[in-house]
Amino acid sequence: MQAAQPVQGESLVKFPELTALRSEKWLIGAHLAIAFIAVTVGGLLGPFQAFRRAPTLRWDMPIFSYYYQALSIHGVLNALVFTTFFIVGFSYFTTQRSLQRKLWSLPLAWIAFATMGIGLLLAGFSLITGEANVLYTFYAPMIAEPAFYIGLTLVVVGSWMAGINIFVTYAQWKRAHPGEKVPLATFSIIANFVMWMTCTLGVATEILFFLLPISLGWTATTDPQVTRILFWFFGHPLVYFWLLPAYTSWYTMMPKQYGVTLFSDNFGRLAFLMIMIFSIPIGVHHLFSDPGISEFAKAAHAFLTFVVAFPSFLTAFNIAATLEKAGRARGGTGLFGWIPKQEWGNPAIAAQLAGMIIFIIGGLTGIMNASWNMNVALHNTSWVPGHFHTTLGGAVFLTYVGILYWIMPMLRGRKLWNKQVALAQIYTWLIGMAIFGLSMGRAGIEGAPRRTDLGAPGVYVSDSWGIWLNGAAIGGFILLISLILLVSQIVGTLFFSKEEYAAPAPVETKAPPDALGIFERWRLWLVVIVVTNLIMWGPVLIQGLNFSSGFWATPFQMR
Amino acid sequence: MQDTKPQEEGKLEIDRYERIYIILAAAMLGVFFAALIAGAIIYGVRLPTASAFINPILIDETEFANPGLRDMGDGNYEVYIVAHMWAYEVGTTEKTAVGLPILRVPEGAKVTFNITSRDVQHGFYIEHHNVNLQILPGHIASQTVTFSERGTYHVICHEYCGRGHQTMGMVIIVEPADGA
Repeated sequence: MQAAQPVQGESLVKFPELTALRSEKWLIGAHLAIAFIAVTVGGLLGPFQAFRRAPTLRWDMPIFSYYYQALSIHGVLNALVFTTFFIVGFSYFTTQRSLQRKLWSLPLAWIAFATMGIGLLLAGFSLITGEANVLYTFYAPMIAEPAFYIGLTLVVVGSWMAGINIFVTYAQWKRAHPGEKVPLATFSIIANFVMWMTCTLGVATEILFFLLPISLGWTATTDPQVTRILFWFFGHPLVYFWLLPAYTSWYTMMPKQYGVTLFSDNFGRLAFLMIMIFSIPIGVHHLFSDPGISEFAKAAHAFLTFVVAFPSFLTAFNIAATLEKAGRARGGTGLFGWIPKQEWGNPAIAAQLAGMIIFIIGGLTGIMNASWNMNVALHNTSWVPGHFHTTLGGAVFLTYVGILYWIMPMLRGRKLWNKQVALAQIYTWLIGMAIFGLSMGRAGIEGAPRRTDLGAPGVYVSDSWGIWLNGAAIGGFILLISLILLVSQIVGTLFFSKEEYAAPAPVETKAPPDALGIFERWRLWLVVIVVTNLIMWGPVLIQGLNFSSGFWATPFQMR
Repeated sequence: MQDTKPQEEGKLEIDRYERIYIILAAAMLGVFFAALIAGAIIYGVRLPTASAFINPILIDETEFANPGLRDMGDGNYEVYIVAHMWAYEVGTTEKTAVGLPILRVPEGAKVTFNITSRDVQHGFYIEHHNVNLQILPGHIASQTVTFSERGTYHVICHEYCGRGHQTMGMVIIVEPADGA
């Protein structure tokens, strides 16, 4: 089989079908390497927090024994560093392959990588030296040292450069292919970066105008409510920034891996578009318990949260219908006969299937969190980490691992080191995270707080929490084993695998003929985003920005 | 094998089952949202709304100078609490064995909590009751709750507030109203 020929007049690069270009190997490989080093370090700290909180299965952390320091490192490395590096690398690869053209600027991609890398070093140094024990939400007036904020800013700035690079590449493709619809894979990545570059304006404003100045000593006071509003302008789209690449894989790569077509390409586009628009004007659902926001604004954001759940319901149907088609093509019959015919034994696919299974828990618990007054029972209890460990730690992480299980062999040119280890890793992760998530959730319903060192002496621990805190520790232990299996697979594939790998990247290069052009009217959607957010966030911010009496909180270093 | 036929720009073909599914999904979300509104109206489960500002430096020149319970008559009470690293100022001297302040309220009391912070963000969560507040310096967080069952209820600070965060709490004892 021949690789797709680039259209005339385009940059003359030809992507080899079964192997990776040198530039891909290094650029994408570098992003994935940092991502998985980060998640290994961050991930190893996780189970020890569960052990520390468990009444009978107690096992204290051997390193970073200060609970809140370990929790800060765990959150920043997993939620911010792992995700951002992985997403940028994956987005470059997918854009290049689905458009069959090189990135606009390879040097800019490396400058972006260096910027993010320097940011990681700065923030990481602050965390390791204990000068940033502020957790990954860094709520004012808790203050970390300036290097922490500068580091996080650089990570975000680097990701903006990546976004610009991808946008220009897309614009160049558009110019070379007038009238053609972009493949869904690149469409989803553009949607993700439009959302990301809009929402990060919130956290950039928070850091540059509030937290960094006070950390440097340039200002004396700050406003906790306003900084929370700015953080959660960014914080909810952040979770969709993690999720959308997983959706990209489910929608555009998995059908290719199965050799079928997606059930409905246009409904895929609609889902990505709706998430791009509605993931930002809903962030107040993280602030339901706050004193400075009206109950009505909270209800309005709760309502739009239900609207943004809708594209995920669309996704469930579209993906399930696609999988059904794949299962039937493989001889599955009857109502459910297509389910056992799925590729449960192929690591690159099985990891994604496992991710979808746990996303059922993650999605439904998310709707509960967002349910306005029901949140009174759940806010800041361990229900919340229970929820997002099944989304980020479950669906998103497992899907990224599924991607790793084909992209790493492709970049390295060697087959996976051990398929059985890969399968064991996937299913232990699924089971471990399900146990952890459900235990944390149940402990939360009983009132166990999140982000609290319950293992410290003299701390109130209700009898009703005990069994569930122990359950979370059991889940954590299984996850620890799974993480060790993952690390050995990565090391094994990179350094010990001998067999040559030769398989095409599962990237679609053409949109189906019925793809609608309206989804690519970006100027229109940008106007919709701006107007929606002005309506939904404007009044909230104005209410928070009460200059007559705000800005009084004085900073506190957390050591 | 193709599911959808090529078609003109501007038309979105919907599979029959997908249409049914979309209607059901939208209806379910609609029912969920209606249930939340019903919960607020019928059962009175409400969220805190935008309330008064307070200068954290001048807390001691306000009602919060004397934290504690005030009997407003007819079974209504107001309580003022100041949160700081890592304790609640409740105005009572009675303490538990581990040193948590105890607040006693009569059974059936309808209590409005007014809470602010002297320093960083804190939380205020009462076990088995619909009180779950984010305490911010500069703001007064308020929530009203009726204590209809006798018992001992722990209050937990659920927002990370520094090294001693896990020890921050208090206890509410709901006891029989005397003479009533």
